[in-house]
Amino acid sequence: MIFLFLTSGLFLGWTLGANDAANVFGSAVGSRMVSFTRAGVIASAFVILGAVLQGSGAADTLDRLGSVNAMGGAFTVALAAGLTVYFMTRAGLPVSTTQAIVGAIIGWNFFTNNAVDTRALTQIVTTWITGPVLGALFAYGLYHLVRITRRRITVHLIKYESWLRKGLMIAGAFGAYSLGANNIANVMGVFVPSIPLEATDFGIFSLTGAQQLFFLGAIAIAAGIITYSKKVMQTVGNNLLELSSEAAFVVVLSQALVLFIFSSSSLSGLMVRLGLPPIPLVPVSSTQVVVGSVLGIGLYKGVRNINIKVLGGIASGWITTPVAAGVLAFLMLFFVKNLFGVDVGHSINPPAASGDGVSIATIIRYSIPALLVITAVYLVYLVLSENKKTERMNKKYYE
Amino acid sequence: MSLFTRTTRELTVRIDEFFDTIEIGILIFKEGIKAYVNGDNNAFQNHISKIDDLEGKADKLQRSIENDMIVHSILPQQRSEIVKLLWQLDEIIDTAKKSLNEFYVEMPYVPASLSHDFISLAEVSGNAAEELMPAARAFFREPHLVREKLIRVYFFERETDKAAFQMKKKVFHEMHDLSLAEKAHIRYVTHHIENISDSAQAAADLLASMAIRQML
Repeated sequence: MIFLFLTSGLFLGWTLGANDAANVFGSAVGSRMVSFTRAGVIASAFVILGAVLQGSGAADTLDRLGSVNAMGGAFTVALAAGLTVYFMTRAGLPVSTTQAIVGAIIGWNFFTNNAVDTRALTQIVTTWITGPVLGALFAYGLYHLVRITRRRITVHLIKYESWLRKGLMIAGAFGAYSLGANNIANVMGVFVPSIPLEATDFGIFSLTGAQQLFFLGAIAIAAGIITYSKKVMQTVGNNLLELSSEAAFVVVLSQALVLFIFSSSSLSGLMVRLGLPPIPLVPVSSTQVVVGSVLGIGLYKGVRNINIKVLGGIASGWITTPVAAGVLAFLMLFFVKNLFGVDVGHSINPPAASGDGVSIATIIRYSIPALLVITAVYLVYLVLSENKKTERMNKKYYE
Repeated sequence: MSLFTRTTRELTVRIDEFFDTIEIGILIFKEGIKAYVNGDNNAFQNHISKIDDLEGKADKLQRSIENDMIVHSILPQQRSEIVKLLWQLDEIIDTAKKSLNEFYVEMPYVPASLSHDFISLAEVSGNAAEELMPAARAFFREPHLVREKLIRVYFFERETDKAAFQMKKKVFHEMHDLSLAEKAHIRYVTHHIENISDSAQAAADLLASMAIRQML
């Protein structure tokens, strides 16, 4: 019975593996720097490691947002997120598994009359914006560093390329580890509260109940990578991200760093020990971080390379995906509960009375203007820096 | 991985060897023209045989580099341009070999008053190709230096055009004792010597665009 309910999460894991592994190894495989077989094996192994060893941080944040306390509810929430991703992808709309699952959990909260944890929601929404921005910043800095290093060292191009090839594999492994650590919460996070498995001791090591679920989810992600990501990787490598080997290395490394930051409880603990605010452990969209990283390289090379439509797509996805997933989850929960008589969860933290609750109107009131302001500031910055760059280029070549 | 490292090292060595072969070929070409114009037949024969060997070696190296780059998927993004560059460089030694062979087969009459002009023309045309080699080597190690190295190639190419123009003008306007066939023959071999610097210029253009792309 547990496996039947888990199928929606496993399906979500499979789609995540099929699509998001391309963010890690797409440019390397597309440019034939790394063979698909090697990329697939590395990505699968490290996704599983990351999910099992470090997946709990981001899952805890999702649990705070909405602790889905019935298997039927978890199944429906994961299915609603999966279907939202599927239909929005088919419609050609920008979509992220992370945002879909968050929307679906909020839908569950409304359906079961549970309060939405404002703090958790703020943390999550903030990382949707800071994820791509951090990706861009890392990519800008790392690319600058790589270019300076290339200029300073006199090494044969072929030797340099062989270093990059090794670097791509190491960064890819790190990226896959971080993807597993960060995104496993999307796949299995909703099942953790409702499927309390006992810890199992394997002699050399033991796995907690959550880790066993993460392991299953990671296997589904690995299956997605091996069975379906080849085509996606080749598409990403050849069409969307036509990057040099250096830029591909930087993009993968930046994405891995961002995902790692938002999933490492040790790093967050270190920040606290240093007297700094903790890093929120939140699942972020690897696709959007990759797009942010590519934009960072675009900024380094000159803003004219940047397609503003891509930015608009990301910003619209922040709103449309969770809203669509939330509405779908609400409707599906209604049918699952009333038509099939399945328990989809109950209220444990009703809104308003505790004061922690938040109405949908409050969310919209605060989050949408904030998103718009940030997007507008970013666009103004892009336009200004493009003008500046054009002036500098004109001076350089025509004066 | 060790196999890949070995291939990388061997390929680097072979690319350098290819450049060395082209460079020596150009020097032999210049010496060959000098020997022909000075009437030193033994030295000329010797140079022809050497350039034949060098051209064959360059061909073999070019093919093996191309083959390894494809088989081991080395530099997949720049491969087609690098293969084209190697082809262009090989074209230089091919042209030099053809040119010396034409002197050997057709034995053009070079009047004593033109000896110096012929030697200088071969010298500047060869210089254009010679100056290309440091730029080609720089592309693989210090791509940001390619453009400044190419300036000398373009300079010598222009000098070759000027020298060839002056020589042809001298032949057709001042040397009335030569028959039209002799004049036409001189013009024809002059054109062949000029081809070396033209090939160098074509390779330089390709190298410049490759270097820009590498720096982006």
